[in-house]
Amino acid sequence: MDDRSGRVTVRELSKRFGSITAVDGVTFSVEPGAVTGFLGPNGSGKTTTLRMILGLVTPTSGRARVNGVPFAELAHPARVVGAVLEAQGFHPGRTARKHLLVCAAAIGVPDAAVDHVLGSVGLAHAADRGVRGYSLGMRQRLALAVALLGDPQVLILDEPANGLDPEGIAWLRAFLRGFAAQGRSVLVSSHLLAEVEQTADHLVVISRGRCVFQGSLAQLRGSRQTRVLVQCPAPARLADALARTGVLEIDTLPDGRLGVAGTDSVHVGDVALAAGVAIHGLVEEKIDLEQLFFQLTTGPWRAG
Amino acid sequence: MGRLLRAEVRKTFSTKLWWALLVPVALLSIVINLFGGLFTAAIPNEGAGLPLLLGSLAYALGLTGVFAACYGVVAMAGEFRHRTITTTYLMGPRRGRVLVAKMATSAAVGALYAAVVALVGVLAGLAGQAGGAPAVEQLLAVSAIGMAVAALWSALGSALGTVISNQVGALVGILVYLLLGELLISALLNSANSEAVRRLTAYLPGNAGDVAIYDIPAHVLAGNDLGPTVVETLAGVTAPPPWWGALLVLAVWVAAVAATGWVVGARRDVT
Repeated sequence: MDDRSGRVTVRELSKRFGSITAVDGVTFSVEPGAVTGFLGPNGSGKTTTLRMILGLVTPTSGRARVNGVPFAELAHPARVVGAVLEAQGFHPGRTARKHLLVCAAAIGVPDAAVDHVLGSVGLAHAADRGVRGYSLGMRQRLALAVALLGDPQVLILDEPANGLDPEGIAWLRAFLRGFAAQGRSVLVSSHLLAEVEQTADHLVVISRGRCVFQGSLAQLRGSRQTRVLVQCPAPARLADALARTGVLEIDTLPDGRLGVAGTDSVHVGDVALAAGVAIHGLVEEKIDLEQLFFQLTTGPWRAG
Repeated sequence: MGRLLRAEVRKTFSTKLWWALLVPVALLSIVINLFGGLFTAAIPNEGAGLPLLLGSLAYALGLTGVFAACYGVVAMAGEFRHRTITTTYLMGPRRGRVLVAKMATSAAVGALYAAVVALVGVLAGLAGQAGGAPAVEQLLAVSAIGMAVAALWSALGSALGTVISNQVGALVGILVYLLLGELLISALLNSANSEAVRRLTAYLPGNAGDVAIYDIPAHVLAGNDLGPTVVETLAGVTAPPPWWGALLVLAVWVAAVAATGWVVGARRDVT
């Protein structure tokens, strides 16, 4: 039976299309009250995984559960999960309002809910126009309106930022944070880390169908050491001085600066002063999460 | 199930499809039944007193089945074409129920087509006809059978649209079969030496629909002795069953395609 937890669990989920393994033993869970970012490059298996959770694609093995049961066994699926998927279409000749009225009938919510969601996503002014004339961003808003119609516990969004203007993206971020803050669950996929960086509490990174990282953004940052970048006229003397204090991970960068790992700028400055080496520049390297994400998803597979 | 039916009714009336197919078939019915009337007027000695309208009406109702089938196909396969099927399955993940709701709604639209065709056809026929007017109960009987046949064809179309989700493929498939394929198969079966093989012609879906519709008009117009022969000629079959038997045959075909759609639809990955 539906446990009403708002939790999505994916266990050892795999999908093969012919000889191609699209998803290969993915395990993660989506907890209520948080935004889970589902990251991976295009073609890494995100969409297939989401569609398996939603019962649209049958897994080759493994299982996906929403509130403890397969999606198709939920008594009121659209009241539990709202989904915005790529390639989720509209009939070009049907107006947004009529599309939502069809959905309202299928879900079993009163027609008044249609006006409510149209207002929520900012489409009220265009509701009686055919979807034919809609921009990509308007279609995304309409898809979100459909997802919200059943006032669901869980939101699943596949690349929702596609087609949205910066204003729309900012609005969506705030909306998802607010949704999760009400104790509901959000699973949002993206191929860009920057898109979910400010929204996600928890990250699931997949590459070539496999999970390569799971954890918080802080854990992702912590998975790589920070470096201190030093510009000085006598790098060799500074390196010697640092080595004598036990700091041994020192690289020379292409621009002539030293990259010092395993310490901080205070220590490097103190050592330089003691050694009488002038310092022309001292910065702590900002971790480029995007680069880290790139390394994660293009490098050799790692166990999640 | 009630929710899915309500959604399907709303889908039907929120696009142009239903009347875009209804208008041409209604116009066709007017022309056919006017023509039947003119035909009667041209041979007053031969046709006087015979309710030929019953025959032209039956012909128009037979054509209605083709339009109804097209409606059913597009109503279902169009969901795959416009990718609304994702939303439909998210709201109704029990796909068998979606199929049943779609078939039921399509059947109602098909019956509506036949009702409109019968209404405008009778009015046009009475206006243009010099021959005898058919009895009201005969008109009602032919119209009711025509509605049943159109409803079955629409339902079959929707089931076929689930099996063959490619809209163009399904549409071309059913049109080629109905307008050409079944004629060829019937000719082949009718050329067989064995009576049993020739009898199979009446059990093809298109022929079964025609037999059901032509049965009563043929008996009225040609009499009980010649009636079956007229049906054989018009529908291109051998030893036709009575109208209710033919309806049953068509219903079995609908059930067979629906069962295939149930299985194929449940296994399909919607990507």
